[in-house]
Amino acid sequence: MFKSHKKHIMKNSENVIEVENVSMDFYRLNEKVDNLKEFFVRLVKGKLERKTERVLENVSFELKKGESIGLIGHNGAGKSTLLKIISNIYEPTEGSVRTRGVIAPLLNLGAGFDYEATGKENVYLNGAILGYSKKELHKKYQKIVDFSELGDHMNTPLKNYSSGMVARLGFAIAIDVEPSILLVDEILSVGDENFRRKCSDKINELRAKGVSFVIVSHNMDQIRKLCQKALWIENSQVKGYGEVNQICDEYAAYCKEIKKQSDEAARKKALEEAALKEKAENK
Amino acid sequence: MNSNMDKATLKAERKAEFKEWLDFQKKELVKNVNIVKQLVLRSIKVQYRNSVIGVFWTILNPLLNMLVMYLVFSSMFAGRGTTPVEQATYPLHLLCGNIVFGMMRNATVQSLPSIVQNRGLLTKNKMSYNVFPLSYSLSAVVNFGFSFIALLGVMLVVWIQGQAVFSLNIFLVFIGLPALFLFCYGLSLLLSAMYTFFRDINHFYNVFLTLWMYLTPIFYTINMFDGGGAAGAMMKTVIRLNPMYYYVEYFRDVVYRCSAHAAAIESMEAANEVVSASMIEAASLPGFGETATLYLIGLATLLIGATIFMGTKRKFIYNI
Repeated sequence: MFKSHKKHIMKNSENVIEVENVSMDFYRLNEKVDNLKEFFVRLVKGKLERKTERVLENVSFELKKGESIGLIGHNGAGKSTLLKIISNIYEPTEGSVRTRGVIAPLLNLGAGFDYEATGKENVYLNGAILGYSKKELHKKYQKIVDFSELGDHMNTPLKNYSSGMVARLGFAIAIDVEPSILLVDEILSVGDENFRRKCSDKINELRAKGVSFVIVSHNMDQIRKLCQKALWIENSQVKGYGEVNQICDEYAAYCKEIKKQSDEAARKKALEEAALKEKAENK
Repeated sequence: MNSNMDKATLKAERKAEFKEWLDFQKKELVKNVNIVKQLVLRSIKVQYRNSVIGVFWTILNPLLNMLVMYLVFSSMFAGRGTTPVEQATYPLHLLCGNIVFGMMRNATVQSLPSIVQNRGLLTKNKMSYNVFPLSYSLSAVVNFGFSFIALLGVMLVVWIQGQAVFSLNIFLVFIGLPALFLFCYGLSLLLSAMYTFFRDINHFYNVFLTLWMYLTPIFYTINMFDGGGAAGAMMKTVIRLNPMYYYVEYFRDVVYRCSAHAAAIESMEAANEVVSASMIEAASLPGFGETATLYLIGLATLLIGATIFMGTKRKFIYNI
């Protein structure tokens, strides 16, 4: 009963995030059974197996106040799943996550927007979801409009926005809630040059204020610049964890190796194909 | 001595822990109330954004519905099992039935796909799942309010014709409405949870809603089955098993039926006419038993819906 609030009692009082031996399983029915008819047919036939898929295996890390960590690894390695576990959207199958303070998840900007509603309505809805009252949002509203540079567009439905405008609004809302932890998933590449600079200025400003960041990015320069630590996840497992430059170097070397291998494989394949073709022509 | 101190500190610790837990829950509650407010506003605004006449559509819609049903069914209604007063107030009979059943339909049809539809919000933010069924159930109550304006309008017309009476009974609507809301909310929780696992539920539910509508005395009364033999008796039993029957009848009673019948009985007694038993029965207001029935149905539905919702909500995220 008292479990839910204990999530912010930390082992080390300096930490804002403690992830301890977290493993995550996804349960799926063997094939996509998402309707009653199929469900009963398979139930009768006895073909209803559940498959568990491990997407994260024994992941641990901790983050002190004001520190930032970069999550790196190939697509589908489990980085975004880890972010969702930290932001408490997924509950880990094993292990525990403790966090302190307001977490603002910047996962896929604009995904939570209602495109039929106007920009203004979306500010209030998203603000409420992030835990702000109408009164607090009244105060923040002008700041959000100014930052996103949307001005008069705030009263038009989002479906008429360009994707850059949507991203700007999403960034402005998330950034203005003054979180103590900001989870960033591959978003620093939105908008035009001008807005990107504004974003990175804002992020630096927040870093100076002592906000902690968890950043998922494929841009190694960005990670090296913004983070002190890095966590490298490959095939659901931690492959490296520590000082950012060291891990990034290891990752870069690994990527090079993989690329070399795949290049080699591609060359071999091309050669084989050419040989086959020649053979066929000779016949 | 030492153990005493330990006990004291332990107690203080527990107290502090409890306080922290309470604060946390309070904060969560305030947050969810804010979200629900925004969602209710959104669903009402979205409904009218693309229509020229806006909110008036909610008032006009039940009126047009009533008109259609009146044209088709009014001649049939004059048959057996209805009192003269019921026949004279037939538009109100239709309208009451329509808006009460409509509230249930509105809440459940919107809630059914709500968790899947809002996956964008749910997979990117930490939030409670039940805010969606709750907000659609609440916006159905708001729509009920708009439709009620139409009902009052029609009642005014019938009153001018001298067939209906405005009485204080109408305020009993506020007693019945929360029970209807509990029923709608419970059903919405159940359906939205099921839909996350089985996407063909909405086809079944649409067919079921049609059946349900015909088994609810919206354009007929249950007494019309009297004298229908075994089949009639069976129909009466089936209708009595239908929860909506009790809600529809309660709202009719308190809005117009009882007061209209009471007024008619009064004038008949003044003219020394014989008052039939069915008239007297129709004039009696729903008492404690009837009201308790409404709440019992509502709470039981909510209990079932909430249990299933709570039991399965951990799996939603994998299915949406």
